Amino acid sequence: MSTKGTRIPDWLTVPFAGITPAPSQEKGQDLFPTGNWRAIRPVYRDKLPPCNNACGTNEKIQGYLDLVKRGKYLDAYALIKEDMPFPSVTGRVCYHPCEQACNRGQYDEAISIRAVERFLGDLGQALGRDVVKAGPPNGRKVAIVGSGPAGHSAAYQLARLGYEVTIFEKSPKAGGLNRGGIPDWVLPSHVLDREIERLVEIGVTIKTNVEVGKDVTWDDLKKNYDACVLAVGLTEPNSARAEGENKDGVLYGLPFLRDIGMGTSKVQLGARVAVIGGGNTAIDCAREALRQGALEVTMITVEANTKEMPAVPEDLHDMAEEGVELLHGRAMTAVLGNGRLEALQLHPARFAGAINASPIIIDREAPAERFVVDNVIIAVGQRASLGWLPDEFRTELGTIKIDRFGRLGDTNFFAAGDVVQLGSGQPLMVVNAVGDGKRVAFHLDKVLRGEPLQPRTIPVDVIVDLDRMNMTYFPHFPRVQQALLPPASRRRTQEEVIQAFSEEQAVEEASRCFSCGTCNACDNCYLVCPEPCIVRSVRSNGLYKILVDYCKGCRVCIEECPTGCLEGVPELDFDSGVVRMDTAFAITPGLHGRQAEELRNLAQRTAKDI
Amino acid sequence: MSYTELTVWTRGIIMDKEGRDIVNSVAAAGRLEGKFAQAMENYVDNPDRTNAPTRKYCRVSDGVIENALTYENEHPNIVVLVEETMVKGWDYMRGMPPGGTLVINTHYSPEYIVRFVPGSERLSQLVCVDAAKLADHKWLYYRLGELGLDRLSTEGAAERNKAIAPDIAAPLIAAVVKTTAIVKMETIEPMIANKKAFSMALDELHILPLNPVAA
Repeated sequence: MSTKGTRIPDWLTVPFAGITPAPSQEKGQDLFPTGNWRAIRPVYRDKLPPCNNACGTNEKIQGYLDLVKRGKYLDAYALIKEDMPFPSVTGRVCYHPCEQACNRGQYDEAISIRAVERFLGDLGQALGRDVVKAGPPNGRKVAIVGSGPAGHSAAYQLARLGYEVTIFEKSPKAGGLNRGGIPDWVLPSHVLDREIERLVEIGVTIKTNVEVGKDVTWDDLKKNYDACVLAVGLTEPNSARAEGENKDGVLYGLPFLRDIGMGTSKVQLGARVAVIGGGNTAIDCAREALRQGALEVTMITVEANTKEMPAVPEDLHDMAEEGVELLHGRAMTAVLGNGRLEALQLHPARFAGAINASPIIIDREAPAERFVVDNVIIAVGQRASLGWLPDEFRTELGTIKIDRFGRLGDTNFFAAGDVVQLGSGQPLMVVNAVGDGKRVAFHLDKVLRGEPLQPRTIPVDVIVDLDRMNMTYFPHFPRVQQALLPPASRRRTQEEVIQAFSEEQAVEEASRCFSCGTCNACDNCYLVCPEPCIVRSVRSNGLYKILVDYCKGCRVCIEECPTGCLEGVPELDFDSGVVRMDTAFAITPGLHGRQAEELRNLAQRTAKDI
Repeated sequence: MSYTELTVWTRGIIMDKEGRDIVNSVAAAGRLEGKFAQAMENYVDNPDRTNAPTRKYCRVSDGVIENALTYENEHPNIVVLVEETMVKGWDYMRGMPPGGTLVINTHYSPEYIVRFVPGSERLSQLVCVDAAKLADHKWLYYRLGELGLDRLSTEGAAERNKAIAPDIAAPLIAAVVKTTAIVKMETIEPMIANKKAFSMALDELHILPLNPVAA
């Protein structure tokens, strides 16, 4: 680089006139601010990873995986607890939409997010004192009806905001669907008991054996509390609309599981059991039936194959391993027998349109099949029991009528969970109910503080896909598999089928995370920058600074950023960063002007002077 | 006696020929009109480096150019920035007498760009032309391999396309000539290779009048 014409500042002058310090020397760079070569400026902007977006309660999944990777388990647990009151429960039962959305799934195999969540949840269970505290009391009282996932989540968030929360539960034990709908070999009851203890620890009062409409009325709730969240869930099983369903030996899915979960079951199953339905409850019923002594279990579904069934694929796989048979494309049209179930009458059937959301067409012309069984468990969905609710808040579907913030009209009543999500297109899953409870709690808080309600929106373009990332930096790596009990030994035990991760496994699995769209301090930008213009004062998350005076906008850091959190923004979009270079490239007034004047006067000068 | 200096600021290698085409064609048109004209490039700037800021000079005069051997334009009446980001980088307005013209290749409006111009009180007009769009230019890095082959040096020795202004220079020449009348339109137009971009630019200039100079 020519340094002709460089004006050296006083503090940079050296005893030898005309010597310019090299850029490599101390402060030498101050002379050559090359930032004005730049057309785009690299900017760190964290984007939303697809897992966070897919999660029903928007857990900061990338965040806690990153912390687990660094061995900061307690921080990770605290982060997960922001959105999820019981990671030990969802770590076992969740249908993990995050893993379906995981970008790594398109590359090799999705991260086993649920297993890491379970690892953190179990860590939290082992703590003597939880990391979460109740907020400073604000003197307001909130009632919550139902202690299932949605009610639990709303109570948890409201207690953290400082409300005095009371939960009404009609069963003798709190837990709702977590206890009554999920078998012990998926979610052991002591895990759930511990999570409910945690809820009581932050000041939530739980009143069991209290049924809304009977022990406590709508007017009581209105009079005694500042606000109320209705999270009553779907408690009444749907009928299969077959003839003779009232015969002995016909059971319904949810009550069957609920009685076993509550320890009040008196059911004695015969050797051959049929399960009607193709959803998650049906699968749990079929697997529970084996554990309750059935020898042959057959699942009868209207769906034509396993892919159409609205169920978690892993559960289907585990069920098949345990020996449950599947019979597709049939509907039960009658229960045959004389007072006691002897056989089922089946006809070919299919859905008229979308699976699970359209009427079933039964081909009654076809010859009926006779299917001999000792018991049948009908698990074809649930509905709510809302006799106590004022008529104006009921919908035709038998759910609660709410606005988009979960509020019932202009009242201080809110509703959350399955009772409002039925028919909304959302799968009726624990994590979605938890997310619903959380959002409703925040909306309720805003209403009581008199703030305007705003829907949560995510601009779609910031959800990161693989195109925005640099896959060169991620070697293929197999997913760490969770150990399972051997299928043969599962049949007669209530022990958990899926085993927990060890610490090493959890760290190994979390290390597979791409950190899509989020800076995870990998130092790659710091290393690849050809100029020394990315500085790293502290090695921690996202703490890099770009010295724009020297950045030439070469895009190397942007192209090489593995996670895609660096992006190039047109330089002219910034008002700042104007660097008027006044060094080697400066025009030198005077020098040439003098030369020109001498040339002009050349003719007047005497020969001798020349 | 009119004497006009035109300084083009461009970037080494990737936009070097564009800048050279502007000064060469304007000077050639001036000579065709019987004026005294010269054009040269600044080699102090080291234009053989990709993206390095580089200047090209042109002078058009009715009389003999007295400072013909002066290497740099000290009082440019017209400044052209071939790449928009340069508006933030240098004091390209240094030495400009009042009533000057600044032409920038950008898709931003002159009202937005004027905030970055140092000493805009010396301008009588700020002209923005989206030359890259008009000439359908495939920008920068997409062409770097091709450019590396094509422009082994900045002197044009190894160029495959010898035509004058086949690319983004054409709209910029149109902007300069239309807004300043440094040479006549009919003299310069036959030289330009990219006639389509040249004529489109005549209609698509964004001119911000600033401080008129009393005649």
